[in-house]
Amino acid sequence: MTAASTLTDRYVFAVQRSLPEAQRAEIDRELRGTIADTIDGRIEAGTDPASAEREVITELGDPYRLAAGYADRPLHLIGPALFPDYIRLLKVLYIVVLPIVVAAILLGQLLSQPDDIGGAFGTAFGAIISVIAHFGFWTTLVFAIIERSSTYKAQAWNPSTLPQLPVGSSIKLSDTAASVAWMATILAAIAWGQFWPLFRDAGGAVIPFFDQALWSFWLPYFIFIALAELGFQLVLYRARRWTWPLALVNVVLGAAFAVPLIWLLLTEQLVNPAFLDAANIAPLFAGDGVVTIVLVVVTISTGLTDVVAGFTRAARGERRAS
Amino acid sequence: MDDIESGHLQELRRGTVVLACLLILRTPDYGYALLERLAAAGLAVDGNTLYPLLRRLEKQALLTSEWNTDEARPRKFYRTSTAGETLAARLLQDWSDLTRTLDDIDHGDSK
Repeated sequence: MTAASTLTDRYVFAVQRSLPEAQRAEIDRELRGTIADTIDGRIEAGTDPASAEREVITELGDPYRLAAGYADRPLHLIGPALFPDYIRLLKVLYIVVLPIVVAAILLGQLLSQPDDIGGAFGTAFGAIISVIAHFGFWTTLVFAIIERSSTYKAQAWNPSTLPQLPVGSSIKLSDTAASVAWMATILAAIAWGQFWPLFRDAGGAVIPFFDQALWSFWLPYFIFIALAELGFQLVLYRARRWTWPLALVNVVLGAAFAVPLIWLLLTEQLVNPAFLDAANIAPLFAGDGVVTIVLVVVTISTGLTDVVAGFTRAARGERRAS
Repeated sequence: MDDIESGHLQELRRGTVVLACLLILRTPDYGYALLERLAAAGLAVDGNTLYPLLRRLEKQALLTSEWNTDEARPRKFYRTSTAGETLAARLLQDWSDLTRTLDDIDHGDSK
């Protein structure tokens, strides 16, 4: 009998432990009475007294669930009223904010410690993991608190927030293909500049086109930017139209590519001096050389065209939407 | 198929437990006895649904409660309040309106 009464004691204890202080005493008393009544009822109906208590308590179920019923507390972290907003916010954080944060961290690392490229990427990778965890945790926490504050009313949904139909995608496959080909050309040019045996030094080794000092930072940087641009083109193609955030990312990527390139060209750091000597074209690549000027002008004009195109197409999409 | 059917039946009956409680508790009773009376009336409901529900209705002032300590086992007796009566009348009216509406639709269809 002692063992049998212990089960009720343990159950009631478990229920009232997750109840507000003010309700405990009364629910304790009522629940004990109810369990005892139910057990008596079972025994009268012919259930074995030894198993009646266990049966009754099994049917009452998880004490946390019962306590939540008594306290009128939700059994979910984020309910249906808030769930759409919750998912939308997480999407924005992960698709738009996360890449920007990671790119900023990577750039900061590369600029402060240009010699340690592996370390910079390691730091960025670690940052991705921890930023993902932080975004998820804090967003969930805030929404769970809102869910539990009864004063919050979810905002009425407005039809004008509907996205545009993706029909007649404003992203042409040919544009995407051209951009991808251009990035592939840059990557190929870096490889070509390194290995193409156009000129050999006295020892017979290939004289690379690019200044070898750039391998400590800038060449890996350009490779990274080109890969990021490839990823961007993919995202853009899947989005099927330009949006303001995409146009903004396009500016960041464009500037990240063009500004260092122009600076390296103007300060004569891009091309390997040994290569220029061997080819006897040093004057062309001087800070005020013809090739330098042409390359700078081409870089600026294509960069600006690309950036402006992104914004005008985003604006056009916006106008069609309203 | 049985799962689907019982799911829809449960959905249809969900609100009737409140109405039945308000009607039955015009004569005061305690939790377990009410559960038995509901079951006897063909409205079987689980204890872990009913007991928190009684508490919620009390909080909404649709039920009042009183402890009866005359017997060896103290019991909390619930009784339908005036507000509870008003709500029960309103719900009952709605229930019979719905019955009539569904009847009309049913007969209109089978014509």
